[in-house]
Amino acid sequence: MARAAESLLVVVLLASLVFFALRLLPGDPARLVLGDDASPAELARVRASLHLDEPLLAQYGRFLRGLATLDLGDSLRRPGTSAMASVGVALVPTAELAVVAVVLGAIAGVAAAVLASGPWLRPGARRWVERGLVGTAATPLLAFAPVVTWAVAARARLVPLPGDPDAGAAGLLFASVLLALPLAAHVGRIAVASLADVARAPFLAVATAKGARPLRVWVVHALPAVAGPVVTVVATQLGALLGGAVVLERMFERRGLGTLILEAYATRDLPVLEGAVVAAGLLFVAAQGLGTAAHVAIDPRTRAGP
Amino acid sequence: MRRRALDLVPLAVVVAASAVGVLLSSEPAGRLDPARAWCSPSGGRPLGCGEAGVDLGPLVASAELRAVALATVVALIGFAIGTPLGAAAALARGRFERAVDRACDLVQAFPSFILALAVLSAVRAPSRMHIGAVFALTAWAPFARLALAHGRVLRDAAFVEAALALGRGRLAVVVRHVLPNLLGVVAVQLGSTGAAIVVSEAALAFVGLGPRDGVSLGGVLDQGVAAMLRAPHVLCVGAAAVMATSTAMLVAGRAAEGKRAG
Repeated sequence: MARAAESLLVVVLLASLVFFALRLLPGDPARLVLGDDASPAELARVRASLHLDEPLLAQYGRFLRGLATLDLGDSLRRPGTSAMASVGVALVPTAELAVVAVVLGAIAGVAAAVLASGPWLRPGARRWVERGLVGTAATPLLAFAPVVTWAVAARARLVPLPGDPDAGAAGLLFASVLLALPLAAHVGRIAVASLADVARAPFLAVATAKGARPLRVWVVHALPAVAGPVVTVVATQLGALLGGAVVLERMFERRGLGTLILEAYATRDLPVLEGAVVAAGLLFVAAQGLGTAAHVAIDPRTRAGP
Repeated sequence: MRRRALDLVPLAVVVAASAVGVLLSSEPAGRLDPARAWCSPSGGRPLGCGEAGVDLGPLVASAELRAVALATVVALIGFAIGTPLGAAAALARGRFERAVDRACDLVQAFPSFILALAVLSAVRAPSRMHIGAVFALTAWAPFARLALAHGRVLRDAAFVEAALALGRGRLAVVVRHVLPNLLGVVAVQLGSTGAAIVVSEAALAFVGLGPRDGVSLGGVLDQGVAAMLRAPHVLCVGAAAVMATSTAMLVAGRAAEGKRAG
């Protein structure tokens, strides 16, 4: 409970940072929204809608109240539409991309770790799997995603090209695979290290002595013992995953939170930008909470004592 | 010593090659000439041309130098803020230690790219200084976390306890005894933070929020993605430049690790 409160406090602090940056940095926010050619009447209208004509503390109090009720006002670009509603709509495709990527990344990472830890490969081949995981984890998504897309979509024509309106499930799957690769590498590295810790545990020797096949020993007996760290890695990688989703949405011209943020940036739709940071923060808090809860459920040793 | 020098070689090669590219170029980075738009690599223009005929050679060389400079400055700022903060938290123990520990966890895991987008919207046309300032908001966290972890070991060391027992103030103990013993360990992080900043700066430019002068590796990648069917060399040049620069920064950070081990 204390951790959840601390996490929420951080979301409030980061949202406050955005609030003060938008209002205290040099320049008139109303002019940022409307441009230099705006008439005084238009500027006054935007200042009133953003409550910029009120004292800063009153604005901040209103912002905190809005944060508590998840009502940060209307979008400036779409008057009458709540900023948080716009963010909520945009979150759906981003969540689809992120969820498929998490599932694929976790499965691929764990599979690579089991392959590198079990008896199926020679030591040299195991080292290559481990080197592959380290290399993939160190390669920026921004560097490999465009090149892989060019090779697979433009050259081999195996998947739809970026921006194809009929990309559908194939487009989603391809973008998710790209997003999943760094996650798979991080999961794989942690799982390899964790599996090495339990490799000589007596319960695995007992399972082997009772005649269990290697696949059963590693998947049914060893994997549950390392599931906690894997879940924690997935939860802590959410920030990078959301950042990667913004880049991939831009590259594949997919609608989502990233596209919304870029549109809101271009039109200086301040309520939507603040809403996007709050939504990303809440998602992050939820993922951290779920990750911690799952870790505790899987491994009771991590439960806090009385 | 020899390994330390070897770790700095990739970064030295990237910087030297970029400096030579800028110095030998007959035109300023970013000069447009629509007649040669999307031209393929050739003897005169080894990296080819991009949108509106921009010569990729000087553009990439300039962008790499600026990315390395930005990453180095921001990483050093993060190092200068995070290391004393983590060391002080380790020595203070209690609530301050817990607050710094938790703040590091959260700042490192929070989607900082989205935070950067939101904060940068406060300025009309972001400059490299604005972008650096936004990255510095979160760059201190990995340094503070490392300093905190190592400070927890050092605070129980005999020389620290002796200094405290002799009546030295906590601040003096942090400055005179804890920090000098932390620097070698924490400096290793300079490389990975620098590499992350190179990639983040390129990512911001890729999504259209790059520096207003348009000289950025992300800008080259953006051109490459838009013209991947017509001029795939632009994409490959941008991706290779991001990869080379970030990897060189990452490997250079190991020079500090060599110092500690040696």
